[in-house]
Amino acid sequence: MTVAETPPDYSGAHKGEDKTFEGVWDTPKGLRVLSSVSHRVVGRRFIYTGFAFFLIAGFLALLVRTQLIVPGNTFLDLETYNQVFTMHGTLMMFLFAIPILEGFAVYLIPLMLGARDLIFPRLGQFGYYCYLFGGIIVLSSFLFDAAPDGGWFMYVPLSTQAHTPGLSADFWLIGITFAEIASVTAAVELITAILCARAPGMSLTKMPIFAWYILITAFMIAIGFPPLIIGSILLEAERLLGLPFFDPTLGGDPLLWQHLFWLFGHPEVYIIFLPAAGMVATMLPTFVGKPLFGYGFAVAAVVSMGFISFGLWAHHMFATGLPILSLSLFSAASTMVTVPTGIQIFCLIATLASGRPRLTVPMLFILGFLSIFVIGGLTGVMLASVPFNWQAHDSYFVVAHLHYVLIGGMVFPLIGAFYYWAPHFTGRMMSERLGRWVFGLMFVGFNVTFLLMHITGLRGMPRRVATYPEGLGWDRLNMLSSIGSYILAAGIVLFVYDFFRSRRHGPIAPRNPWGAGTLEWLYPPVAPGFNFHAIPPVHSREPLWDQPDLLEAEAHEVEGVMHGLRDGRRETVGCDPVSGAPLYILRLPHPTWVPMIAALGMALLFGATLASAYWLSGVGAVIALAAFAVWAWEPSDSGVTRDAGMGHDLPVNVVDRRSHMHVALVGTMLVLMALFASLVFGLLYLWNIRPDAAAAVARPEALTAGLGGLCGLGVALAGQMTRRAALADRFGITTVLSLLTAALAIAAAGLLGLSLGPVDPWVSALGATLWAIVAFTGLVLFALVFWALFNAARRTARRVGPGQSMPDFNLATLAKGAGLMVVVAAALFVAGAYGGVG
Amino acid sequence: MSPLARQITAIARPGLAWAAHFIAIYALISASCAARALIDHPTVVADAIVATVVALALCLWSVVAAPKGASADLRRAAFWGGLIFALACLANAAALVLLQGCGG
Repeated sequence: MTVAETPPDYSGAHKGEDKTFEGVWDTPKGLRVLSSVSHRVVGRRFIYTGFAFFLIAGFLALLVRTQLIVPGNTFLDLETYNQVFTMHGTLMMFLFAIPILEGFAVYLIPLMLGARDLIFPRLGQFGYYCYLFGGIIVLSSFLFDAAPDGGWFMYVPLSTQAHTPGLSADFWLIGITFAEIASVTAAVELITAILCARAPGMSLTKMPIFAWYILITAFMIAIGFPPLIIGSILLEAERLLGLPFFDPTLGGDPLLWQHLFWLFGHPEVYIIFLPAAGMVATMLPTFVGKPLFGYGFAVAAVVSMGFISFGLWAHHMFATGLPILSLSLFSAASTMVTVPTGIQIFCLIATLASGRPRLTVPMLFILGFLSIFVIGGLTGVMLASVPFNWQAHDSYFVVAHLHYVLIGGMVFPLIGAFYYWAPHFTGRMMSERLGRWVFGLMFVGFNVTFLLMHITGLRGMPRRVATYPEGLGWDRLNMLSSIGSYILAAGIVLFVYDFFRSRRHGPIAPRNPWGAGTLEWLYPPVAPGFNFHAIPPVHSREPLWDQPDLLEAEAHEVEGVMHGLRDGRRETVGCDPVSGAPLYILRLPHPTWVPMIAALGMALLFGATLASAYWLSGVGAVIALAAFAVWAWEPSDSGVTRDAGMGHDLPVNVVDRRSHMHVALVGTMLVLMALFASLVFGLLYLWNIRPDAAAAVARPEALTAGLGGLCGLGVALAGQMTRRAALADRFGITTVLSLLTAALAIAAAGLLGLSLGPVDPWVSALGATLWAIVAFTGLVLFALVFWALFNAARRTARRVGPGQSMPDFNLATLAKGAGLMVVVAAALFVAGAYGGVG
Repeated sequence: MSPLARQITAIARPGLAWAAHFIAIYALISASCAARALIDHPTVVADAIVATVVALALCLWSVVAAPKGASADLRRAAFWGGLIFALACLANAAALVLLQGCGG
């Protein structure tokens, strides 16, 4: 192995640090394990924490079923019952389903794609701690006797200060918003990892199908979560500051909350379903011994589902008095989404029919998934029909439907996935015999519980009632449903026992124990911390089936790029996002406490806000900002070239649009744009449905708004000029242009704020929303200013060498996005000024 | 653009066309049926027809001119994605043709 250029002094390893290849990738020992950034450590933490939340939420479900086992029961009082079902839904949807699936994705994606780690390991650690602390905040509400009790959807006006005094709704809004940071960061991380770090030759066509599912899911999270984040912030602002976003007496509308919530809430169902379906599409070919039937069909279906699932949100609002024309539009989209769903199911059934399946435990769960999810899908088609939906609305029929979709579509594949990938976590196989019992108990228990609920619902039992009178035809059905839930719980308990038992007593897992075709089984379980000594080129979607040499040799002897140690750094290959051709060497961070400290700062910010200790919130914000600055203040390695083996001379990092940094920033911009669009949607919605209230709002000042818009254009232009100067290695001009970008951003924020001088945010919902747009745009501009000044400081401190212009390159992208937001906001203000807000 | 990149574009185009079409139809319905009643129903239908024709053209482009080369699987994905989204665009617009107004 030759080195094309002498390594620079800084190699990333500290003085005296173990620089062997294994040592560089080693997981820290003792307490320092908390500073680990490895995708496998972080992924496992997501999985285990998510499962712990699942057990808590499952226990709450058993309390609900116990309360409903007989009519007139007093096992729980009414308030506790409300808290229990609210927390059950909240934990399951926000703290279990999405995080645990993201955990599997974080763990598996690099192994499947031939990468040594995710591209942004520190972001993974930061996301995990945000999730953990956010979850603890939500759960701690029980300790303060302030558990949320307004349903997992927190509808207004029930959740406003007038109807829910105290802190219960605040625990929900603040804790969940904090935990959602993890979902969004994981989405950006996964998009970038899938597009930018794959094995040589792994074009998008040759990606394992699981990666397609996760890629689309990650895009859906990036677009789907922002409406809820914005909704939660607006509702918390209404509760905390009295801003009347949802107050109908001041021009607000409770339905705006429902729109924002379900703009997130419906895609969320698919965000939960798609990764689980991806697991099924990965496991099934292994047990059939044939590749997935109709890879192209499946990709088309997943992409279609990703889009169409955003057109269904109002089918949760069919009973709110929307115009029939709107209902028809959403009914049509709700029906259409069955087409791509059906295609996926047919792909799986055709795969099943193409060979002779081995009836292993994961396979049983796949069959369970197919049968249960299809029933849930069919009742979904029924609910897409407006007349039937009106009939079944808020009844136990809907409860049965959603559990068929979510437990069938997600929990069954998940438990199957645990059995399938357990060797990765423990190095041992779980029990086939106990696994069959687990499946049997879960399948029988689930169907006894929920199949009957269809009938309970059709007999008129409403959801969320704490008890019911006898003699309405619900008694026996509820009794049986409760017994079924205990059987289902017994299955879960047996699964937990089997998992822990197998850690000590399970048979040692051989290399590729199931005979799978995907790369995560290249090494014997447990695979080493670096995933791959050498990253092998791949020629098909099932490399372990089609490239026999991969399994014939010892795993560490497999030929590939990046063999062995390079510079005492954690490194992997960066690739062209489309073709998968190796483009550059990606240098990855070593274990660090910084992301954890940033998350702690954020936890302080959120927790102190909850406790109304605002000075402490400020301290938390400062800690987080300082941690982010330290995070970013590392020497750049760009501009060095290395021989990566197999004829590849690769630079460290590339400074163009294919760079992982740029792809990640585009992903982040997607999130920011979705947040901004949610606010604009809110503004236009209120303006459109409440013309009377809008007419009473004072007009913004046109001149200052227009000047602000011009400054927004200037921000974009200055950012672009900074990029050009940086690419030409013109140090002085780049610094000046960075400062100019910052100055224009400050001016834009100031002018937008000044233009709203006459508008009082406390007297009208529309005025409050205008100010919310300014606040959000100001926040983005603040980030831009921080970044521009940071870049200028790094240049002034001589921390930037020739060819190391990635931060300035990316500044331009952020500047253009921020500039666009300013221009749109200014245009809305000017339109309001000249046309009159009303 | 490489053949593979063309195929990826062909897969994404119908989805983006559907998203734009859905937003357009939703905006037209909102403009017509909310309290402000900015436009009347015939205008909604006329605009929706134009939007639907454009969206269908974009979706069917991926069906009739699925780019060759690179991968048969992705060509199939572009073809079927185009068909699914074309159908979905028709479904979006169907209510506007079937109903004579906002319908209460």
